[in-house]
Amino acid sequence: MKRINFYYSTKLTFDDYVHNHSFALRIIPPETPSQINISCALNINPFVSTQQTIDAFGNNVTSGYLREDHRFLDFEIKGTADIDHTKYRTDYMPCYLYQSEYTQPDSILKNFYDGIKGNCTGSASERAAYLSNVLSDTISYEKGSTDTKTTAAQAFMLKKGVCQDFSHILISLLRMDGIAARYIAGLAFCDGETHSWVEYWTGDHWEGIDPANNCPISDDYLVISQGRDFRDCAIDRGVMFGKYTKQLQLVRSVLS
Amino acid sequence: MTQQQFTKAVGNANEINELLRRYGVKFGIYKNGVFNEQFFPFDPIPRVITHEDFQSIEKGLVQRVNALNEFLFDIYHDKKIVNDGVVPEDFIYISKGYLAQCEGITPKNNVYSHISGIDLVQAKDGEWYILEDNLRIPSGASYPLIARELTRIAAPQAFEENSVVDNRSYAKLLKETMEYANCGGIRAILTPGRYNAAYFEHSYLAEHTGSVLVQNDELFVEDNMLYHRTYSGGKTRIGVLYRRIADEYLDPLTFLPESLIGIPNLMEAYRSGNVGIINAPGNGVADDKGIYYFVPKMIKYYLEEEPILKNAPTYLPFYNNDMKYVTEHLDTLVIKDVAEAGGYGVVFGSDLTKEKLEEFRKTIIAEPRRFIAQEVIDFLDLPILDKGKTVMRKADLRAFILSGKETKVWASGLTRFSRNPDSFVVNSSQGGGFKDTWVLSR
Repeated sequence: MKRINFYYSTKLTFDDYVHNHSFALRIIPPETPSQINISCALNINPFVSTQQTIDAFGNNVTSGYLREDHRFLDFEIKGTADIDHTKYRTDYMPCYLYQSEYTQPDSILKNFYDGIKGNCTGSASERAAYLSNVLSDTISYEKGSTDTKTTAAQAFMLKKGVCQDFSHILISLLRMDGIAARYIAGLAFCDGETHSWVEYWTGDHWEGIDPANNCPISDDYLVISQGRDFRDCAIDRGVMFGKYTKQLQLVRSVLS
Repeated sequence: MTQQQFTKAVGNANEINELLRRYGVKFGIYKNGVFNEQFFPFDPIPRVITHEDFQSIEKGLVQRVNALNEFLFDIYHDKKIVNDGVVPEDFIYISKGYLAQCEGITPKNNVYSHISGIDLVQAKDGEWYILEDNLRIPSGASYPLIARELTRIAAPQAFEENSVVDNRSYAKLLKETMEYANCGGIRAILTPGRYNAAYFEHSYLAEHTGSVLVQNDELFVEDNMLYHRTYSGGKTRIGVLYRRIADEYLDPLTFLPESLIGIPNLMEAYRSGNVGIINAPGNGVADDKGIYYFVPKMIKYYLEEEPILKNAPTYLPFYNNDMKYVTEHLDTLVIKDVAEAGGYGVVFGSDLTKEKLEEFRKTIIAEPRRFIAQEVIDFLDLPILDKGKTVMRKADLRAFILSGKETKVWASGLTRFSRNPDSFVVNSSQGGGFKDTWVLSR
């Protein structure tokens, strides 16, 4: 068990006024057997009343609507959580066994899997570790090579990507191998932005693996949201009206 | 019906078609990227369903829709039918209509399919067969309504002399159904706008149910409630939304982010039980052409009853035995691509050349989950008027079943016919026409 302090903020800045701005944030860490929030405070500026719901994947959703003109929207979350990955999570959903939008393999990724599946044997954990190993030998980590719209198949073709791409490709491979897998967006000690990793179903609980760092996860990983792929987990989604041409997003996160 | 009345109605065909034109009864289709509004040709000879026939169809349809509603609740909650091995898991989760985002959502009173459009055909031996279920946004109810209205004007005697059940009850049924799903507020019908194929119907139904016809830019979600922006800058709460846009476009913050016709955070308001959505998002998993095969099994599973209405004999190449039969009898079967709708992706084996058949066989073997195969039902021809002559054409019936406090079948329906003598495909988007459907009250 480990007690960690977390801080995460996003600043959205527009170059002109926007209005009728609806947003949905998946930012409050879910409470699970392996993760208990001791404290958690969400601040949104400018002030706007918000509502809390829990989505199909177990995420806390904070939604709101800013009708008036504004040129920025900042939100930050600060809290303390107890993390203990030896306490298992068992919130299984069968949809995690099936490819989703971002993980749908093309023929190249399918052929790649067909080429390695002979060596992919043993328990779910052994197979996941093997696939993550192969992945880290095949794909290089390169910031800026992909964006949030890049799919597993596209990143695999480029042979490079960031944590999101590593996660999508690993999920795609795990699902082809018949192992249910889900995408995790969260915070980890490794970098100053949000991180992403993968959980796979062992048959009776979830285990985490960090394909970008090719290592199992530890109590230094805080889950913020989870789902079939990035689409379900985006920490902030919004729709707004106005003549703005640019939206600048600054993200900062700290785990201590 | 006597010959005399029949002729009376027929004699007024041109008059009624002219009235329909004037009323703007059209449907739009996109062809090669161009939007065209087409006149939906009306044939004045009504399809007549006897009182006895209707009673048995009615029972069968209520049973089917009740089972489908149970199925939808089950799939988005406990998934018992999958866990008990009645429906293979693959068929649920590969279906494009299954929406994981809807897991755990319980619509008010557990009704998922408020308005079900079930397509049937009558075989030459009089037996009715279900062709497909439409549980997302079944359209077409307004056509027989307005045709009846106009026939009433053009040939009032036909109704004086026949005991035809008044079909104007549809608006009342729809209003009741909407009220049963209402979570507190006004009723609204959401249309994607005037360039939608069924815009005429949206405005017609809004007018007749006393609902507000709205487009997405008049709506917003605030504090988890759905509101209609009023002209004076105020807001009115919407308690039930009969939306005529597809699931994927409904909420850009839950589904397709690029949707410009949706309402952000509508799904959060819906999940919280603050607004009813008609029909429930995610229903596509139950009207998937692959799932159709399992509906009779659902009726036995959930209701412990024997299905009253039969499916057309259907084969799933997914099962080895069925695959064998399908590949051996491809030339006599009709093959449907499960991902397509509106009469697209339907291939009659008998229309294919030897080479094409062989090619198609390979496609089915490569993608068994993508297709279903059915025996061609030799269904009843109905008389239609073609340039003053009565000719016989293939026709089906879309029955409308409304699920409110009770499940009720509308005593009318949309009869669609093929204008092409050699075609079995009756969809309006394939150039077919329609008839009124008369249900006799005795």
